[in-house]
Amino acid sequence: MSEHAAAADHGNLNYLNHETTLWSWLSTVDHKRIGIMYLFTITIFFIVGGIAALTMRMELASAGPDFLTPDQYNVLFTLHGAIMIFLFIVPGIPATMGNFLLPLMIGAKDVAFPRLNLLSYYIYVVGAIMALFALLNPIDTGWTFYAPYSTQTKSAVILMTGAAFVLGFSSILTGLNFVVTVHRLRCPGMTWDRLPVFVWALYATAVIQTLATPVVGMTLLLLIMERWLGVGIFDPKMGGDPVLFEHFFWFYSHPVVYIMVLPAFGVVGEIIPVFSRKPLFGYKMVCYASLAIALVGFLVWAHHMLVAGISDTSAIYFSVITFGVAIPTAVKVFNWVSTMYKGSISFDTPMLYAMAFIFLFMIAGTTGVYLATLAVDVFYHDTYFVVAHFHYTIQGGAVIGLIAALHFWFPKMTGKMYNEHIAKIAFVLVFVGFNLTFLPQFVLGMEGMPRRYFDYLPEFQSMHRLSTVGALVNGFGYTFALLNLLFAWIFSKRKASANPYHSLSLEWQTQSPPIHDNFVETPTVTDYPYGYGTPVEGGAH
Amino acid sequence: MNSAVETIPGEPPHAHHWTSVNAYHGAKLGMWLFLATEILLFSVLFTSFAIYRFLYLGEFHSASLQLDWRMGATNTAVLIISSFTAALAMDAAQHGNNKRVRNLLLFTVACGGIFLVVKYFEYSHKYDIGLFPGRTCPEVHADAASGHGDSHHGESDHGAKADHGGGHHQEFCWPTGDNALGLSDAQKEMLVSNNYKMYFGLYYCMTGLHALHVIIGMAVLSWVCLLASRGRFSEKYYTPVELGALYWHLVDLIWIYLFPLLYLVD
Amino acid sequence: MFRYLPEQASKIAPSVDWLHNWITDLSVLFTVAICGAMVYFAIRYRKRDGVDHETPRIEGSNFLEVVWTVVPTLISIWVAYYGIVIYQDMREGENEALVINAVGKQWIWEFQYENGKQTVGEFVVPVNRPVKVVLTATDVLHSFFVPAMRIKKDAVPGHYTSVMFTPVKTGTYHTFCTEYCGTNHSGMLAKLNVVSEAEYERWVNDRSDDLAKLSMTPAKLGAKLYSDKGCVACHSLNGTRLVGPSFLKLYQQDGRKLADGSEVKFDEKFSVEEYIRESILHPAAKVVESYPNGLMPAFDGQLSDGELKGLIAFIKEQDGSAPAQEEEPASEDMTAKLAAMSLEELGQFHYESKACNGCHSLDGSQIVGPSFKGLYGKKGELADGTEYVADDAYIQESIWDPNAKIVKGFQPNLMLQTYKDQLKERDIQGIIAYMKTLQ
Repeated sequence: MSEHAAAADHGNLNYLNHETTLWSWLSTVDHKRIGIMYLFTITIFFIVGGIAALTMRMELASAGPDFLTPDQYNVLFTLHGAIMIFLFIVPGIPATMGNFLLPLMIGAKDVAFPRLNLLSYYIYVVGAIMALFALLNPIDTGWTFYAPYSTQTKSAVILMTGAAFVLGFSSILTGLNFVVTVHRLRCPGMTWDRLPVFVWALYATAVIQTLATPVVGMTLLLLIMERWLGVGIFDPKMGGDPVLFEHFFWFYSHPVVYIMVLPAFGVVGEIIPVFSRKPLFGYKMVCYASLAIALVGFLVWAHHMLVAGISDTSAIYFSVITFGVAIPTAVKVFNWVSTMYKGSISFDTPMLYAMAFIFLFMIAGTTGVYLATLAVDVFYHDTYFVVAHFHYTIQGGAVIGLIAALHFWFPKMTGKMYNEHIAKIAFVLVFVGFNLTFLPQFVLGMEGMPRRYFDYLPEFQSMHRLSTVGALVNGFGYTFALLNLLFAWIFSKRKASANPYHSLSLEWQTQSPPIHDNFVETPTVTDYPYGYGTPVEGGAH
Repeated sequence: MNSAVETIPGEPPHAHHWTSVNAYHGAKLGMWLFLATEILLFSVLFTSFAIYRFLYLGEFHSASLQLDWRMGATNTAVLIISSFTAALAMDAAQHGNNKRVRNLLLFTVACGGIFLVVKYFEYSHKYDIGLFPGRTCPEVHADAASGHGDSHHGESDHGAKADHGGGHHQEFCWPTGDNALGLSDAQKEMLVSNNYKMYFGLYYCMTGLHALHVIIGMAVLSWVCLLASRGRFSEKYYTPVELGALYWHLVDLIWIYLFPLLYLVD
Repeated sequence: MFRYLPEQASKIAPSVDWLHNWITDLSVLFTVAICGAMVYFAIRYRKRDGVDHETPRIEGSNFLEVVWTVVPTLISIWVAYYGIVIYQDMREGENEALVINAVGKQWIWEFQYENGKQTVGEFVVPVNRPVKVVLTATDVLHSFFVPAMRIKKDAVPGHYTSVMFTPVKTGTYHTFCTEYCGTNHSGMLAKLNVVSEAEYERWVNDRSDDLAKLSMTPAKLGAKLYSDKGCVACHSLNGTRLVGPSFLKLYQQDGRKLADGSEVKFDEKFSVEEYIRESILHPAAKVVESYPNGLMPAFDGQLSDGELKGLIAFIKEQDGSAPAQEEEPASEDMTAKLAAMSLEELGQFHYESKACNGCHSLDGSQIVGPSFKGLYGKKGELADGTEYVADDAYIQESIWDPNAKIVKGFQPNLMLQTYKDQLKERDIQGIIAYMKTLQ
């Protein structure tokens, strides 16, 4: 492949400036613009959720009540969880980077159903507004909405679960769109074994989005019915069973973890080969691992309920199957690291984030083993260990993946280059701050500190204080990173070339930023996108 | 621009990158995926129903006797016929016979209307005799036992609504007064049974959600009907008819599971 | 590395910790090995002088893929196997176990023994005997967690679940609620006392408390419950407005205005007894005008019929005929007893008899007022922003005139203002001495 498609003849016209009115944005069916709109919307919610988290950490800096009441604290952690999960990280990588990149990476002009894509954005906005009203109203159930607390509390449960239902619908439409896009719109020569790993990851994610979300949608509707009419299926006073709610809820909410983190795997799989100038090690295994994780992810939901009163038999089953997720994940990590062997490694910011991702995800994965192990989970369930574990997965995995992707594809999205020095300083702050926040929480968990506690015993104070300091540093890091990108986009004079990293992937073979139709001519693909380096004997793809 | 692109009526400008064949297959794949999500949506209700039917067999059985199987059977027949006409419309569209498509779909939509009317009669009858989901009201239990509950709930015609002091939202309660039409004492007692209520809770959720799908299906088919009356379909382009018919088949299919489950199974 | 698990107080704890520490060591090993390799590659193969060097086009290795699929699989199987085995060992001795029923409710743990003995927020078990705690909940989900025993199980309304442990060390251990259950989730603690078999027998068969209750008149029983259950914290007897309405003339007053604008009218269908009973069991049902809803815990299921009757009789007694109920004048015998107590004992006596325990905990948890644990000598900030040091003078002032200094984060007007008449210099010294023991 060459860069001839970078199309000098289009001059300066690109998807950003070929139309500039506000209406042209609001009514766009262009996947790139929709991706950008998603990006700005979710960033707002990332900031709101982050402020909620920092407020909680300030309160927890010392034992005893400081400046919040218990009820305010309960609202805050609900706010943090619900915003971060439903409004930020689920649409996180797929709806932003996925929307922007998927058609570019497979040589298509757009996704399969462009109008549906815009519709799903607006459904997301409606859901987001509902959720904000609910959260400010407020709601205090935690993002899990466990019955029967959620059927009894006086807070705005109906509005929030309604919002989650609407957001889920948006997520389903995006997933459905992506699946059809990957199936039907690959350009000539783009066979399944030449798809970029990011596309594979998005595909696996889209399948989960489509198949898991309806279940939670119906569950939340039932919860609404329960509150509204008193159907009784989750209410023990009427012969119902709260544990059934947990089953339905986790049937979606465990796979949702993979909705969050699989695309981040894809991002790392794209970044490492480019900055190592080496083919992705074990490309096929990496792709299959994504599918395997998506598949096994559907079978393990009740490991969130090992002490919830399910039978020993099911506890054993779910514990064992859970280990099944660990193996494809481990395979991915081994392949990423092996890719760097004998490479020519440069330390641009995206590469630093990708390497940090591997480290953080190792911790996330290995601490997951404790929680999958039945006897140990009995101790760790619902303690700070779990809190730290899933923050390593979601923040260390998905958020770091998103930030890595933002830096990596920033030249493509905006046509500008960001300030590398500030980006690296921000990276250090994020990395140090993140570990300082959550490593102490592992220790707290080991010492037996339960989660969702407004107040705690004095002996937990030192670790809580460390964690609070870390959270502040982490917050500063993200602020720097995002401001750096924002300023670069608005003010930077440094234009990005079509392919600043000399990548072989299709999205880099068109101009930066891409033209409205993505490619001047429909590209034809002859090889997979990782053919870096000098061919050696026996190394053929 | 790709020379293979053909103009497809009703597609936005930016979507012109599809070849018509690809667009057809893509749309069908999308629809099938969507139908899968619909089935998963209902699966939660089916699972809940299965679990509680297993747990409360007796109550669910006697509750199901309250349903009029003749009305259910009528509706089943109506939906099966409508599904058949939807399939015929699809065939007509493949032959480019727009007028026939329009007539068949109008008939299908009308069948949907009949279904809803029958459903309305079923619902209103049950509402009148007080078969409505409701949270347990401690007073009702006490009243049922001591037999002086009329002053609490007997007055309103609908009998179902009663605001309980301090409650933050209105709760529906079981009427225990004279308006519980012609029920024997034993039946009244059963009315108070929670699991009996749960059956009707699930009944309303399942049939209600299904009725909502009937309404959406009618709206979709009406729109396709409109396209047909404008002569949009041809041997080459009949995607909307096919997708609309697929959706309608799903609505029919779900009912075919709901009917025996709720009305017939002992 | 990373050995932070709490003390091993149960028979199963060493096995759990053994597996836990194995996982830790394996995790550290793998993390260090993989990330070490990553850092090594990054440094060894870094791009030098800004120019890419030639790289080999290595696309994979089937051998390696098999190795790093099989090795983690084997390790996983090993870990999962022992996880299951140890989990099953947790139920060892189920048949000869001592059974205790525990009920979780917002926001207390209630325990009941086979002989009918009941405790709240505290339970006692003998050492070296398997204990089975049968759990349920009355309102929402709770979870029963004793870190030192390495056990946890959810308490689910409508279900009975159970946990088992065999304590091997005497001592006092924390019990937490680990399933989010609302406002005071973090205050839903209980104390587990592991004692010797003999001491346990003595404790569990000591029913003097219950017997005393049986021999009391209903009104006396009500008076005892009034302080034991902490009613005293929020309901005065002299007409003073605290958190909730005063009990003074409550029984005699018809036509109370409610928050929703209606009035309570008593007639043969809805008697005053029924009203009081409902308000105790379901406080949210009828909220008196100008009082906030949701502060009072529901006592549904926590009081027996006799106890309810006692409370109602007690409230009926508060008709204003006796000027605000007073402590019975201490009998000669009592005075002598008090004089004979050491300061610490005296302080503890007052802590319990004056119902300080309704609002001030001993374990650092916050109830209504600051905990007594670590209070003496503590420095901190007041609501008005000034500093305080909890010295003798401060504590005396806080008892005699509670509103003089309000600690930041706490409400004024909640504490009774009547202690000035009840507690003299020596009593205060006793309380201070008692606080000093709670550091």
